[in-house]
Amino acid sequence: MDILITLLLIVVLFGFLAGGVWIGLTLSGVAWVAMELFSSRPAGDAMAVTIWGSASSWTLTALPLFVWMGEILFRTRLSQDMFKGLAPWVERLPGRLLHTNVIGCAIFAAVSGSSAATCATIGKMTLPELKKRGYPDDQVIGTLAGAGTLGLLIPPSIIMIVYGVAADVSISKLFIAGIFPGIMLATLFSGYIVVWSLMNPGKIPAATASYTFMQKLHESRHLIPVVLLIMAVLGSIYSGIATATEAAGVGVIGSLVLSLLQGSLNWQSFKESLLGATRLYCMIALILTGAAFLTLAMGYLGLPRALAEFINGLGLSKFMLIVALAAFYVLLGCFLDGISMVVLTMGVILPTVTGAGIDLIWFGIFITLVVEMAQITPPVGFNLFVLQGMTKRELTYIARVALPMFFLMCVAVLLIYFVPEIATWLPTKM
Amino acid sequence: MRKALDTLYDSAAWIAATFMVALLVMVMLSIAGRELGFHVRGTDAYAGYMMAGAGFFALAHTLKRGEHIRVTLLLQALAPAARRRFETFSLAVAVLLAGLLAFFSGKLCWQSWQFHDISTSNDATPLWIPQISMALGTLILFIAFVDEFICELRGTRKAYGSDELLRNE
Repeated sequence: MDILITLLLIVVLFGFLAGGVWIGLTLSGVAWVAMELFSSRPAGDAMAVTIWGSASSWTLTALPLFVWMGEILFRTRLSQDMFKGLAPWVERLPGRLLHTNVIGCAIFAAVSGSSAATCATIGKMTLPELKKRGYPDDQVIGTLAGAGTLGLLIPPSIIMIVYGVAADVSISKLFIAGIFPGIMLATLFSGYIVVWSLMNPGKIPAATASYTFMQKLHESRHLIPVVLLIMAVLGSIYSGIATATEAAGVGVIGSLVLSLLQGSLNWQSFKESLLGATRLYCMIALILTGAAFLTLAMGYLGLPRALAEFINGLGLSKFMLIVALAAFYVLLGCFLDGISMVVLTMGVILPTVTGAGIDLIWFGIFITLVVEMAQITPPVGFNLFVLQGMTKRELTYIARVALPMFFLMCVAVLLIYFVPEIATWLPTKM
Repeated sequence: MRKALDTLYDSAAWIAATFMVALLVMVMLSIAGRELGFHVRGTDAYAGYMMAGAGFFALAHTLKRGEHIRVTLLLQALAPAARRRFETFSLAVAVLLAGLLAFFSGKLCWQSWQFHDISTSNDATPLWIPQISMALGTLILFIAFVDEFICELRGTRKAYGSDELLRNE
């Protein structure tokens, strides 16, 4: 009987979601029904207390600040500067300026917590520049779609904050754990570009300029501001001077100073970044608070425990469990955004994960990777949407050219499974 | 009426933005306090309240700008008539849920005041004060949803194709 009602609830949940009811409200609504059915606690009061608790929790305060930082940097000339600083270095590599997509995204990811913002900021510069020089569209768009997702894996990361709060794991440790997997994934992307251009000679236009080493070094001065910002944010977390929240505060101030020095800070751009960040945070907050209430209700339902017992009963090996979870999240990621996906499942799935003896920091990196895949899987994938807006191409086309990057991410998941130290070693050195 | 409502949403958004700046100030204050050796009691808790204020007061404005996430896959695939039925349905559900949320948020705030509920961390703030942001913010969200619902019925609801929407994660 209980199982029947649970199934009914899940059907109602996905029915409402598919029907277009706002995600955050749907979560609260389903939680409400579950509370009414399964507990004697008054649902309305429990909802208000839970929502207040999660909306005012200190651990979450890093999130709005990192969102704001991204909004400020999006409105600076940072992407132009990065292109100028990087281009001379990659002109000699096979694939030439295609690498500006990957390296640019990897660097910007270290000051941005969002995949779509990384994709949009770097693409703003590389898409027109590479098109002008005659680089093949397929590769330009595909590598950008993939590399943009590094915004999530390379700290700071919005998804890691959301996961850290949901799983009660140190956000600072998660951030630091993401560094090596992020560099590894960027290397995979760059390696793919090299292999592709060696296999397709003639498709990459010739180098437009040659630089001496000193000239290259001189051009690199454009990278100084962003490197300083990265050092301020990540350095303060790693050395233990600052919590994730404090690093985010430093990041906002640093971004404001950077945009002031560049001359792109004025009342208009400040106002837009502030209101933009407030709205974006508000959107995320509605989902997070709804999910907090749903997690509470799920507890009353006993669903997480039941699921953990069921999966333990199957006697899956750890590897099979991870494969099954990856497949589940990729499927879910086709229809839901990353944040909703994480908060919706975390309350239910965590007991299973801890029961299987999986390290929660490692699992955070795993989740971040599968959410990255979700960013480029149609029909719902935010990097696809961003690139659709920027290139005016079909969604299906963008998804198709980004497919190789999707497979590279699968490889990355396997690599961190077989060599978990890639993720777990650095946090132990903090 | 239209103008009054829009002013309401926009002023709430500005209050939210002010809370966002206040959140930054709180965080910087706690860093400065530690580095320079003075102590401001309860900055962590205050930062939490500021964040709550930023989130709750922006709810209606964010809705009006079409930036609250929903799954539009099915909606976009439908014929206009069916699409309107779905929109009306999801708005009706939203009005109901936002109404419940506003009611119980108000109740929580009122009870905190009545029972002199005090924050358990070291700021010892009477909780009804920060909870006002939740009570008012959810109330304005409820008004905004009723507004949207009525606009939908009259056929004057604005469709949005915002680029902003896409930069969210």
